[in-house]
Parts: sequence; C-alpha cells; structure tokens
Amino acid sequence: MPDDSTGRAAAQDVPAWAAIALAAAGFCATLWAWSQGGGAVELPWAPSLDLRLRFELDGLGALYTLLATGVGLAVFVYAASYLPAHLAYQRRPASHAPRFYGLLVLFMVSMAGLATAQDLIALFVFWDLTAVASYFLIAYDRHEAPSRWAALMALLVTGISAVLLLIGALLLYAEYGTFSVPELFERARPGATLTLAGALIAVAALAKSAQVPLHFWLPRAMTAPTPVSAYLHSAAMVAAGVLLLGRLYPLIEPSELLLDGLIVIGATSIAVGGVIALTRDDMKQLLAYSTFSQYGYVVFLYGLGGAKAAVAASFYVISHALAKSALFLTAGAVTESTGGSRRLSEVGGLARELPLLAAASAAAVAAIVALPLTVGFFADELFFAAALEHGPWAAGIAVAAAGLTFAYLGRFWAAIFLGTRTQAQRLPLTLLVPVAALGACVTAAGVWPEPVASLAAAAGESSVREPAAADVAYHLDTRAENLMALGAWAIGLTLLAVPALWRRAAGAVAGAGAAAGPERLYGGVLRLLNRLSDRVHDLEVRDLRARVAAVLVPAGALVLVGFIATPTAGLYHVGEIGSRDAGLVLMLALACAAAVAATLPRKHLTLTLVLATLGFVLAGVYAFFGAPDVALVAVVVETLLALLVFGVLALVPAKVLRREAGVQTRGSRRWRDPLIGVLSGTFAFVLAWGALSRPAPERSVAAEHVALAPDAHAKDVVTAILADFRGLDTLGEVTVVAVGLIGVVGLLRRGRLW
Amino acid sequence: MSLLIQTLARVMLAPILMVALAVLVKGYADVGDGFAAGAIAALAILLQYVAFGREETERRLPIRLLPAGAFVAMLLALTIAAAPMIAGEALLTYPPGAGEEAIHLGTLELIGAFAFDVTIFVLVVGAALGIIHAIAREAEHVEAESP
Repeated sequence: MPDDSTGRAAAQDVPAWAAIALAAAGFCATLWAWSQGGGAVELPWAPSLDLRLRFELDGLGALYTLLATGVGLAVFVYAASYLPAHLAYQRRPASHAPRFYGLLVLFMVSMAGLATAQDLIALFVFWDLTAVASYFLIAYDRHEAPSRWAALMALLVTGISAVLLLIGALLLYAEYGTFSVPELFERARPGATLTLAGALIAVAALAKSAQVPLHFWLPRAMTAPTPVSAYLHSAAMVAAGVLLLGRLYPLIEPSELLLDGLIVIGATSIAVGGVIALTRDDMKQLLAYSTFSQYGYVVFLYGLGGAKAAVAASFYVISHALAKSALFLTAGAVTESTGGSRRLSEVGGLARELPLLAAASAAAVAAIVALPLTVGFFADELFFAAALEHGPWAAGIAVAAAGLTFAYLGRFWAAIFLGTRTQAQRLPLTLLVPVAALGACVTAAGVWPEPVASLAAAAGESSVREPAAADVAYHLDTRAENLMALGAWAIGLTLLAVPALWRRAAGAVAGAGAAAGPERLYGGVLRLLNRLSDRVHDLEVRDLRARVAAVLVPAGALVLVGFIATPTAGLYHVGEIGSRDAGLVLMLALACAAAVAATLPRKHLTLTLVLATLGFVLAGVYAFFGAPDVALVAVVVETLLALLVFGVLALVPAKVLRREAGVQTRGSRRWRDPLIGVLSGTFAFVLAWGALSRPAPERSVAAEHVALAPDAHAKDVVTAILADFRGLDTLGEVTVVAVGLIGVVGLLRRGRLW
Repeated sequence: MSLLIQTLARVMLAPILMVALAVLVKGYADVGDGFAAGAIAALAILLQYVAFGREETERRLPIRLLPAGAFVAMLLALTIAAAPMIAGEALLTYPPGAGEEAIHLGTLELIGAFAFDVTIFVLVVGAALGIIHAIAREAEHVEAESP
C-alpha cells in the first residue's frame, strides 16, 4: 500500500505547509507594507471602555513582525522534518502534529499583534497570548513531568509578571486617561506615578526576557522540542520583553532610577548567563543561558539611554535572533544526526560529516562573537559605541561581556565540530536549509548591512521619538570601537585557551545558583502555597457541616457587625396583622413547624420529604404574598429536586444509608452545630426583619419595572424582568443549570451525555 | 409499578406537556415563563421514568438528543443575547423596540424576548433530562451489584 501511505503522509504535511505558507505570506506582506512606508489600522474595540484596537507598522513593529515571520518561516521548514522524527521517537501518533503547528502559528500571530499594537490593553492581551502559546508548546511532550513543570514555571513567571504590566497600564490610565500609547507619550510627565508604572512595566518586560533574577524559567523551558526553543525561547517570545521596553521607552526614560536599574540588571544577566553558559555541557542549556545573557546586552543598552543606544539595541536584537535561532537549530540537528546526543561531551569532530551545518553555525557563532563579515560585527560596534558614550566603566563592562560571549560560544562550536570524531548520520536537506539560510543571512548582512541598519534605525526612532541613524561600516583604523573588539577577542581567546582560569570560579557560581538561586525560592513558594491551599481546603471540607458552617458563621458575623454599626432606631417594628393576612400567617406558621421538624428525622428519605414539605409551604407563602410566578416555579422545582434526591439516594448502597442514619453526634459537635444553626438563623431573621421594616422608597426599582413592562411588550412583569430587564442575570443562572448538567454527567457517567 | 400509576402517567403525558407549552407561550401575558415551563415538561418526562422505568421510557419517547439540545440552546441564548451588539445596540435588546407594533398571531404577540425564553425552556428540559438519565443509568448498576 505505498500509495496509501504516501497519501497519508502528504495529508499529515498539510498543517506544516499551511504554517510555512502563512509565515511566508506574513513575511512578504510585512516587507511590502514596510517598503510602502508602514501604515496604521484603527478599529473600535470597546468604545464604552475607551478601548481602540490601533495597530501601526512603525520601525519597532516592522522589526519584530519581520523577525517573528522570518525566523518563523525558517523554523517551520525545519519543524516539518523535525517533528515527524520527534513523534516517531516518542511513539506518538502523527495526529499530535497539527496542534504543534497551530500553536506555533498562534504564537506568530500574537507576536505580530504585540509588535504592532499601539494600545496598552491590546499589548497586554497579545502579551498573554504569547505566554499561553509558550505554555502549551513547552509542555508539548506532555507525558514527561519535567516538560509540564517547566511549562508551568514559564507560565507562572511570565504570567504573574504580566499582571504587573496590566497594573502599570491601569495606573497610567488613572493618571492620564488613555490607554493609547502615542497619546500617553504626549501626556506623560515625569513623576512618581510614571516611575511606578514604568517600573511595573519594566519588571514584566524583564521577566519575559528572562533577566536575572527571573531568568530561571528559560533554561527549564529547553525541555520543549528544538523548533520551539529556537523560535520562542531565543528569537521571538524572549524578544517580546525587550520589544516592550523599546515600545514604552518614553515612559521609562524620564526616570534615572529605572535606567540605572536596567543597566544593573542587564549587566548582571550578561555576567550570570555568560559564566553559567561556560560550565554547561547540555547544548540547549548552554544556548539558553547564552540567550538571556545576550538579552542582557539589549537591556543594558536601553539602560544606557539615548538614541544611539536604542538603535544599537534594535540592531542587536536582529543580529542575535538570526544567529541564535540558527544555533538552536544546529543543536537540534546534531542531536538528530548522532541519534540523541544532547551533550557537548558526547559529540565531536562533526565538521567532516556535516560540513554545511558546520559552516552555517560557524557563521552564526561568528555573528554573536562579532567577527567581521557578519552582521554581529556591526551589532557590537554599535554596542561599544553606545557604551563608550556613557563612560569608561560601561565600555569596560561591554568588552568583558563580549569576551565572555566569545569564550562560551567558541567552546560550543569547537566541542561539536572539532576534536575526536563521533558517529553521525546524514541529515535531510530540510533540516539543513533553514540553518544555512539563517547563516547566509548573517553573512550577507555582514557585507551589506544597510537594510538591517535602516530597520534598526527606524526601530530606534520609534523608541526615542527623534530621528536616529545607525552608522555602520568597516573602518580599518585604530578607533576605540575596533580596539575594544580586538580586546574582547583577546579576552575570549584567552578564556578559551586556558580553561583553568575560569573553571573553578564558574563552577562555583553555577553551584551557588543551583543551591540558593531564585529557582529554589520559586519552588519553595510554590510548595508553601500548595500546603496553604491544602490546609484551607482541609479546614473547609472536613465534612458537610463544617462546610456549611464556613459559609454561615462569617455571614452571621458580618450581619452582627452591620447590626452594631448601623443605627437601629425606627427599624424592627411589628406591623399590623389583619384578617386578610390569615392565610399568610398560617403558611408562615407551617413553614416554621416544617423547619423545626427538619431537625428531627434521622433517615435520609424522611428528611428529604420533610425538606420538600418546607419547600411547598414556602411556595404557599409566596402565593399568599402575591407572587404567583415565584410560587409556580417553587412548586415545580421543589418536586423535581425532591424526586432527583430520591434518585441519588438510590445510588447510595442501603447499608451506607443505614449506617449514616445511625451515627450519633458526639462531644463538642453536639453543642457546636445547633449553636451555629441558631446563631446564623437569628442573624438572618434580624436582617430580614430590618430590611422589611424600611419604608418603601418613593420610586423603587420594582415600580420602575412595572412602568417599563408595556415598553417590553409584556403584560406579566415578572417574565419581562427575567427575560428582558434582568436578562443577563437569567443568562448567568441558566448557565449554572448547564454547568450543573456537565458536573452530574462528569461525575456519574464520565462525561457521556447519553 | 402499579397499573394505576402507569395508566395515569400515560394519560397525563400529553396534557402536562400541553400545560408546559401554554405556560411558555403565555408567559408574557400571564403567570409563568420558560424556566417554569421547562421544569413542568421535565416533570412530565420524569413521571414516565418513575412509571415505566428508564428503558421503556427512552424507547417510547424521542428524547435522546434533548440533553445535547441543552447545550445548543445555551449557545443560542448567548447568540440571541449578543446579536444586538453587532448592530451597535446594548446586550439583550429585543425587537420590536418600545412603542413599536409587534406581529400578532391571534392573541399571541411575537416578540424577541420570546425566542430567548424558548432557549431557556429547551435548556431546562434538556439539563433536567440529562441529569435524570445519568442518575437512572447509574441506579441500574447499583441495583445490579447489590440485589
């Protein structure tokens, strides 16, 4: 059946090809729109909340949309041959594949929305959408516990910090009355509110970009399939953090404090990520630490402030995204080719077997360590220039950072492609072409940097709101940037050549991080919360009576507080009872009797009947009180419920019912339960009496409803209220009925409706 | 089950359903609404379960799809509630507007709110029937296990 199987294989490829086509179309469309000078779309969203959907393809928007679709294209092509092998290796059916592409596309679209959104609420929504897509993609191997743990960690860290973004947005709205980003830039004035909101937004951005001390989720997220790591956790989602910094830069820039904070966090991230990356043996782990170290560069640049630094930051993002995703794809290809080796110590000498991969990843490594003839050289040139402008200490940090990067990435490449040879298989072209294409991009941009430079300059302009330019070119002279680059390479080569220099110290840093790092804190807090929730749960649901008491006692206490706090003069008077009220009084007396009687029976069946009696008597009260609609529903529903309770009792073995009926309440419970009952009953009585004693207001809501009923074409006011005036309440209530059905069916029939 | 109850159940089914329909249709002029009508109809079906047992009832009455219908009705109710927003009006605005003339079928006025009431009717009947069915099915297992 060869025809059939190829046919099925072709059908399985449809989602992959659809995703590839979508990415390609998105990339071309963005490129075309950008070449036409950008543009903006504005749609009303929720006018009553002052929300508009405004999307604008400015420099930042174009940059990140092009990255999301362009790198997305390369990754989707790669995934098309990676995923079938991945699923086959884990013995999962091919039907798991469409979900993968669907989530990747969801991510791509939300990233494009995030890049172009000009409204804080829209930003927040897309921000969370990327986190949701990331959650499901990290946990794509959902049968593996580490994947689920990592996915939850990424979601919690980026999701909880996202709430800070929302709080920041609301603070800004409260102060300046708009969610629109351009309007905010016009209205915002330096001050405590702006600093606070800027700080909250910055924390959200830094968590997303995995900056110290919220970096620990990123290395864990490497349990995701390689295409996800290459796409979300190097090029796109982690870049969303610095995108937000760039987008809302004018809100952050006025505060020196925030800028200094960014410098400190950026520099710490560079150092921590770089030093730990030196010690990693797992390829993807090394790249993960490298990734947040590299985004540390970008955060550091934004912290330096000014147009030059903003342009440099944008340039760096492009250069890093292209190169780093190529390296992730390289790591995946090496694992694929060597039959599952993930560690640097397990592979070596692959340059002979995989020359194309070696060349492409060499270009990518060269780009990140800023060798000439790659786009990275210019990225570092701008980085050094911005640092120099700020002072010698910033320049020193920059050189040290570049040297560190050189060392660990040199180690990465050399360990895979040089040294003693390991067995490797040839790889399909679709795994190699994306890496080669990304490698070609970084080299091409190293020869002809103008397109990247103009895009970065435009992105910088949208951040700082003033004209900016990226002057990149090769200069064969002894200007400071060139000397700094030479210095960085010298440091890197020294570190690479003499590992004894750093091995002990770096190992100690990594060990300290593992022993007392923020990840331990995260785990501890999570365990603590779990335990707290268990305790509260145990307290509340020890038995049914405790659960009822947990509702009644606080409610009673609240009523008591209200009773003490409000003046009671004029309330609680006994009205007149005339002969017309005889029926009502009789019914109320019966209701009291039934309520007292309900405390007596010990058999479940009898108890149900007594309670049903109480319900019927109450229906009678409604009828005499002049509410026939309520009385009708009460009678019908009471009957239905009583019969259903009988049915449920039939599900309980008779033995259990007999035993439970014979249980005697012992000890303190004997007094506690009646006490709780009497107290809460008293409070309810006081509350109802007080409410009924109030004189009716001149024009009550009820009178309003009666007056409006003819407009709703209704002669029966109650029906008009239920279906029309308070229709939303009714909608909510019937939803509860539907949810009840789901609950019963789920518990009794494992979800089978019939 | 005694012959009396079975006869009663058989004879009463149509009248009770008729009452339910009347309560539903006349809800806008008189006591009752979709919720009450749904509960009455559900009682009519429950009576059949009590009198004839589950299998016999489910063979005789075409009620298989009603529980699923509850969810369809839920979606319909949401649609009816949200539809006016497309035209830029508030949630749950029904035609005809205040003061406009409604279409009459005899003494029955066709108004938008009635459609909403009908979805609630179906939802209540369907949900109640789904719960009745689930309990009845499980009760059979319990009986089979402990004779």
